[in-house]
Amino acid sequence: MRFLHTADWQLGMKAAQVGETGARVREERLHALERVAAQANSVEFVLVAGDTFENNGVDRTLVQRAADILSAFRVPIYVIPGNHDPLSPGSVWNHPVWGSIGNLHVLREEEPVEIPGGVLYPCPVRQKRSAKDPTVWIRAGGAEGVRVGLAHGTVEDIPQEEPDYPIPRDAASRAGLDYLALGHWHSTAFYPGQDGATHMAYSGTHETTSFGERDSGNVLIVEVPGAGITPVITPVRTGSLCWKVVEGDIRYRGDLLRIRRQVETMKNSASTLIELRISGLLAAEDRDDLTRIQEILDSRSRRFLFARLDMSRIRPSPQDENWVAGLPAGIIRQAGLRLREMANPDFTGERSKGASAEVASRALMELYAMITEGAG
Amino acid sequence: MILRAIRVANWRCFVEPVAVGPFDEGLNVLHAPNATGKSTLLEALLRGLLDGHRVGGREVEPIRPWGRLLAPTITVEFAHSGTDYKITKRFLDGASSKLERKENGQFVRLAEADNADEMVRKVLMGSAPGRGLARHQNWGLAQILWTPQGELALEDISGDVIAHIRASLDTQVAGPGAGAVEKRVEEVWRELFAPGGKLKAGKDAPALVRLTEKLQETLNRRTAARAQQQDFDEAVRRVEDLRARRAQARYDEESISEEFKESRSRAEFYRTLLSEKMQRAERLKAVEAQHGELKQRAEAIKSARRELKEAEESLRKLEADIPLQEREVGNREEEAAEAKAALEDARRGRQMVDAARELSEEAHRFGESNKALGELSKRLGKISRAQETLAARKREKAGLAAPDAPTLRAIRQAMNRRDEARLHVDAALITLEVVPERDGSLEVISGDETGTRALHSGRPTQMKGSPEVVADLPGVARFRAWGPTGSIEQYRSEQAGAERRIKALTEPFGTTELEELEKLGERAEELDKKIAEVTTQLETLLSSMSIDDIRRESSRVEAVLVKSLERHPNWKHSIPDGEALKTAAQESSRSFIEKVEGAEARRDQAQSALAAATTQGAGIAAQLKETRLHLRSLESRLAELISDGKTDREREDELKKMALAWEAARVSLDEVESRLSVFGDDPMAAAGRLEKRLEASRETATRALEDEKIEEGKLQHLSAQGPYSALALVEEEAANLKQEIAGEELRVNAINLIHKMVAQCRTEALAAVAGPVEAAATRILQRIAGERLGRLQLGESFKPAQVRPEISESAVSLENVSGGEEEQIYLATRLALAEVLAKEERQLVVLDDVLAATDAGRMARVMTILKEAAQHLQVLILTCHPERYRRLVGAKFIDLEGVVRGDRI
Repeated sequence: MRFLHTADWQLGMKAAQVGETGARVREERLHALERVAAQANSVEFVLVAGDTFENNGVDRTLVQRAADILSAFRVPIYVIPGNHDPLSPGSVWNHPVWGSIGNLHVLREEEPVEIPGGVLYPCPVRQKRSAKDPTVWIRAGGAEGVRVGLAHGTVEDIPQEEPDYPIPRDAASRAGLDYLALGHWHSTAFYPGQDGATHMAYSGTHETTSFGERDSGNVLIVEVPGAGITPVITPVRTGSLCWKVVEGDIRYRGDLLRIRRQVETMKNSASTLIELRISGLLAAEDRDDLTRIQEILDSRSRRFLFARLDMSRIRPSPQDENWVAGLPAGIIRQAGLRLREMANPDFTGERSKGASAEVASRALMELYAMITEGAG
Repeated sequence: MILRAIRVANWRCFVEPVAVGPFDEGLNVLHAPNATGKSTLLEALLRGLLDGHRVGGREVEPIRPWGRLLAPTITVEFAHSGTDYKITKRFLDGASSKLERKENGQFVRLAEADNADEMVRKVLMGSAPGRGLARHQNWGLAQILWTPQGELALEDISGDVIAHIRASLDTQVAGPGAGAVEKRVEEVWRELFAPGGKLKAGKDAPALVRLTEKLQETLNRRTAARAQQQDFDEAVRRVEDLRARRAQARYDEESISEEFKESRSRAEFYRTLLSEKMQRAERLKAVEAQHGELKQRAEAIKSARRELKEAEESLRKLEADIPLQEREVGNREEEAAEAKAALEDARRGRQMVDAARELSEEAHRFGESNKALGELSKRLGKISRAQETLAARKREKAGLAAPDAPTLRAIRQAMNRRDEARLHVDAALITLEVVPERDGSLEVISGDETGTRALHSGRPTQMKGSPEVVADLPGVARFRAWGPTGSIEQYRSEQAGAERRIKALTEPFGTTELEELEKLGERAEELDKKIAEVTTQLETLLSSMSIDDIRRESSRVEAVLVKSLERHPNWKHSIPDGEALKTAAQESSRSFIEKVEGAEARRDQAQSALAAATTQGAGIAAQLKETRLHLRSLESRLAELISDGKTDREREDELKKMALAWEAARVSLDEVESRLSVFGDDPMAAAGRLEKRLEASRETATRALEDEKIEEGKLQHLSAQGPYSALALVEEEAANLKQEIAGEELRVNAINLIHKMVAQCRTEALAAVAGPVEAAATRILQRIAGERLGRLQLGESFKPAQVRPEISESAVSLENVSGGEEEQIYLATRLALAEVLAKEERQLVVLDDVLAATDAGRMARVMTILKEAAQHLQVLILTCHPERYRRLVGAKFIDLEGVVRGDRI
């Protein structure tokens, strides 16, 4: 038996952290299904372990589009509802389109289903939260053929504040399954048993969903040679977006230049979402580099799919007095010196309203720009 | 700018042209009495230099001379930046403006009309007002330098003048190039902020404002999208709830349905038993009825026989009683007749009784009438006597002529007047008394009594008269006596009048003696009293009756007596004893009544007995008749009862059989009732209740299904709108905007901070620089007023704000200084500012009658300061007290009144 295990497609998900790029992110998730379909050509069937959609309230045109994409799969697809798209009233799974796709099986009951080469034990989810083990009903011991479970929940190992569809660490063996295909968590993860063999795994989401999400954007190709034989599980990358967080600390001359070059030479920038966090001390001569970084990351340049620059932890370098001392004598110079003092987070003097260190730093930069404009 | 000369014509009080000048470059004192035109001259100067020539309207018209339609004209010669100018303006009619500049010793036209107005305005840094005459804020430097009467206090100085002051000071504050940076800071700041410090709005609003507005709109949409998503979630919950409710209702329906089936079969069985019970109860009833009937018949036969026997017995008895009864009735009739006869006999005694009573009554009447007649006679006698007495008294009264009380009072008054008059006469008369020593005669020539009067030796003879008494003693002498003349004639007249009055009053009474008249009056009063007494007595006797009535009554009584005497002549001599007769009559009556009552009682008794006997007889007859009827009825009934042909024995047997059947039916009924009692409460009612519950649960399930369908429809509608997707879009948009806003806000705040810092530094710098102005003003003030007020502190725009005396811990507001000191504070400040403004060029300072409240001592110090100021300033003082300024050595004094007189053409 050879099948493709995937889950957590989260179609229609919100991506507020990337603002208006969210629409593009959603679109890419649909495109990623085409890559999944391509992988599915080499298997007998596809298992989708829940959270196909982000919410039962997604736009119905999205449902239609998803159905169109799934109808193009050449093999049967077995889907269980997850906690994001549970089988509750108004569920996306009640849409009439599912009845028109012959190869798609939406599994709504806890009943064994015959699949090519074995039996499938689905655990459909009916509500957003539950403290009940969804696999508890499975008693696959005496079944003929390969016994595969399909569930959506949290393996006990994963720390949670409250039980969230808890699945025992040994659920596969307890239920008598050859393989338990899991969904709910977005990172690909394997749970080997005591014998070291893996009989349960999370495929993870087929396309990364946010910054900091590790090991996502994959599907699993699972081969089970026979009942009772250890499955062979192969992760295959299907995601195309790259969510990158770059932290840069500028302390010495050239640090900022290095960061700039890193950003400039980043590959596949068009499908990269980048969050650049720079902290440290900014010297006057580095301001051009910073400006250049800002230009590269500016959404108008369309260099990256999404870019955000966090400069809140940049401070003017205390050694950099040249330009302030060079301000015209009198009130301008005096104002510059005061701004410089206030830009120091450790300033203990009186700060006027709204004159945080960050604002003062920015004020210095703006003043510098005004002066250099004039000089230019 | 300094003033050279000024010429006005057709301007308020200056109808004819007046030229004042040339002015000294230092001190000038223009003096004149009130209403000469000093302040008018200053006004003309202001209008000439600061107003447009075409200004018109109601506030401009008053500068024409009163009652004249002349066009006001002003010409000002002044020097500015080392060059002499002359501006000539004509207002209202034929308005014009011409500016000339001195070139090569001649004034040459430089500009005209609005251009001339603007160029001249710029000399003082004035600004054109929007409409009408230039206001204080349009005066430029004149706001500080020129002080109209009563306006010594510094008003808010316009920004451009402050800027100029600061500009004069600024060279010490900022280094080269600072201006460009400041300007750039200001420019960048103004791109974002309005002058008030708020972010710009409208079409010039910075991106931050637009983004913020957009964010707000997005947030509003997000709120709506969230609400829609919430509606979706709630609709899901509602559908779930309704499904659960429907499931519960279905479950309830099923369980009730089972229960209902059971209950219904029990109810059926119960109904069957009830029907059986009813049948058996009917059977019992029927048997019971039959038994009762048989028993009743047997008893009825027995009873009928018994009654028949009794009736026959009764009949026999009645038939035996009849003759006895008849005999009884006869006896009673005899007895009744006897009683009746006795009664009639007794009644016949009434006549005697009546006669006795009448006799006694008549005797009583006779006695009473006799007594009454006696009393009437007495009364009549008294009346007659009283009448006689009354008549006598009245006669006596009529014959008595006596004055009544008023008349007596009048007589007394007249007598008093007469006596008084007499006294006056006597007092007025002159009395001559002669006491001859021998007899003789005296001829009274003049006096009251003239003629010869005999004289007797030793007897005084008096002669009275008025106004003199003249008497001749023949052969001896004429005696003449006179005295004070009085009004004796008047007194005599009064006396005569009184005597006439007395005579008139007393004549009817025959005496003029008062005592007698009084006696007569008393007598009359007495008679009146007696008459009144008799009259009262008479009235009492009559007692509201007339004498005739009394006499008639007396006659009537007498007639009654006569009648009685006719019937009883013996009473004439012997009055009958009414009481005795009455007693006898009463006794007779009582005896009669007793007799009659006794006879009546006996009669009644006899009649009652007769009635009773008669009634009894009738009763027996009726009873006899009835008994016979009853007997016949009993016989008939008995015949009917035994008409079934059965014997008594046969009936008895039948009754026993029926009793057994009855018992059996009762046992059967008891059996079915005991089976029914097992059921407890009514199973049919229970089945009914269960049926109702079943219907209710079905209805609940139906309703739940309907509600579910409705909610599902709503849910479907909501889900078709894709609320999550819409929310995702708007939240992404909001996040995007917030990001942008954060960036913009940082930039805007940074620029605002720069601006604020620069302004703060500028203020501090200026404060440091403006210190000298404050110090200068303080020095001037202390020179004038001493050190009491301490340090003068200027506020914004260089306006004096307060003083800080050394002895006071806190500053003292200008409201709390005296009027004179306030004047001096403002003058000191103006002079200090004027010094600053005159740094580049000598400036004209005008003081129109200021320091009115300053005393002479301080005025002297002010003069000294003005003299010093005149080294750098041209000072023009307008005053109506030139003597106050005489100490200004070197000052040019201009007598405006003289100028006006002298310049009149």
